[in-house]
Amino acid sequence: MKFVVNTYTLLSVLALAALVTTAQNASTDLKAQDVRTDTLVAAEFENRVKEYTQRREAIEARLPRMPKQTTAKQIDVHKKALLKRVLAVSKGARRGQIFTPEAESLIRKIVTVQYPERNREELRKELAEAENKTVAVKVNALYPEAAERLEMPPTLLLTLPQLPKQVRYRFVGTSLLIVDREIHLIIDFMTNALP
Amino acid sequence: MKRTHTFLFVLYFVLVGLSAQSIALGQRLDSLGTAKAKSPSVTLPMREGSLRLAVFGDAGRGSKDQYDLGRVMADYRQAFAFDWVLLTGDNIYGNDSPADMKNKFELPYKSMLDAGVKFYGSLGNHDTSNQRLYAPFNMNGEEYYRIERNGVSFYALNSNYLDKKQLDWLTAELAKDPNAWRVAFFHHPPYSSGGRHGSDDEVRAVLHPIFVKSGIDVVFNGHDHFYERVKPQDGITYFVAGAAGKIRKGDLKDGSRITAAGFDADLSFMIVEFVGDDMHFQAISKAGNTVDSGVIKRRD
Repeated sequence: MKFVVNTYTLLSVLALAALVTTAQNASTDLKAQDVRTDTLVAAEFENRVKEYTQRREAIEARLPRMPKQTTAKQIDVHKKALLKRVLAVSKGARRGQIFTPEAESLIRKIVTVQYPERNREELRKELAEAENKTVAVKVNALYPEAAERLEMPPTLLLTLPQLPKQVRYRFVGTSLLIVDREIHLIIDFMTNALP
Repeated sequence: MKRTHTFLFVLYFVLVGLSAQSIALGQRLDSLGTAKAKSPSVTLPMREGSLRLAVFGDAGRGSKDQYDLGRVMADYRQAFAFDWVLLTGDNIYGNDSPADMKNKFELPYKSMLDAGVKFYGSLGNHDTSNQRLYAPFNMNGEEYYRIERNGVSFYALNSNYLDKKQLDWLTAELAKDPNAWRVAFFHHPPYSSGGRHGSDDEVRAVLHPIFVKSGIDVVFNGHDHFYERVKPQDGITYFVAGAAGKIRKGDLKDGSRITAAGFDADLSFMIVEFVGDDMHFQAISKAGNTVDSGVIKRRD
């Protein structure tokens, strides 16, 4: 009888262990799936940004080549010519073409998980007082040349998907923008980027 | 008797009038910025063949103050022939059209530019990326770069956008740097006693560990509109030299534990000389007064 009881106890323990292991595996599987989904969303986001920069590069290649060191006049002429041509092919651009809903969710998730709340709080305060808070945020609008370019906090920047050198992340309030670094064009933006 | 009284009366009014005119003239001279600063008084060793430079930032406003300080720099250059200038950012406030570049940079420093002084830019939060292409800033099309001379390496960084690419570049460059002296200059100060901005903890978190590990000796920053020499942090001396266009009077926090020396009463700039393992420095106010000076030994 004692042997039977012990056997039942052992079997119960084994069954419980099996259940826990299965649950753990399922959770690990879900996490792995999450990571795969995040990686995919990030890659698609980066591809959409790349599409813009490739289009822009093709346009720039048709303009007179800019030397690495030149005059203020030549920089100005080049900037205006490039802006005019990029705008001509971006007429129909609208919000969400780069920051798709999936990309927005991913970025909010990255920010929440990897950028501590106390840093977010401090950044929100800084952004609320920043000189650029009145900049109108709109796709295909210009980020005013005279407006301050707020530093992107490096520890946050290092967690976000990397951008090609032609474009930059920039905050205006709690909206996160992607801006062309030379022609100051707002390519796309998402709101509530610092949940 | 009556005549004497009349004479004295007239004399009194003439003297009072002349005196009032002198005061008004003096005020006008001050406001025109033509009142002379003190004659240059250089405390640096001025060894033959040494590397000499000036350092300043937050200059590009096109303001009378900027022009006045530009004249003091030019005077000092006559006494201490520096031929390099490191810019700690906010080179051009507002727009950077050709007219802006002229009024906010080319004219204030015309005599130095004409004499062949080379300015090396770094970008501040008021600068556009296009400045990297502007020939007089000698950035060679890059937002971050390294230059060297007389066995001293200078790293210009873009602290507005310290992304992985830039940090990887910096780490790789430092790893293969043959020079013992290593200096970094950029806009946002990892250490500062400013009330308005102060230490940039974010920039410090990513840069200071790299600097400590890879032998950076000295760092020049701007952003806060005053002069400050910070007590060595893990052996590295940080300077805030951001008072070349506007002063934020009284912004240096009283009793800051990191301040070694500071000056927030007027505009200022620095002159620097490298002699062997020593870096001599002098901070000079718009009035031509020396507000700080000393020597920093290179870290081993």
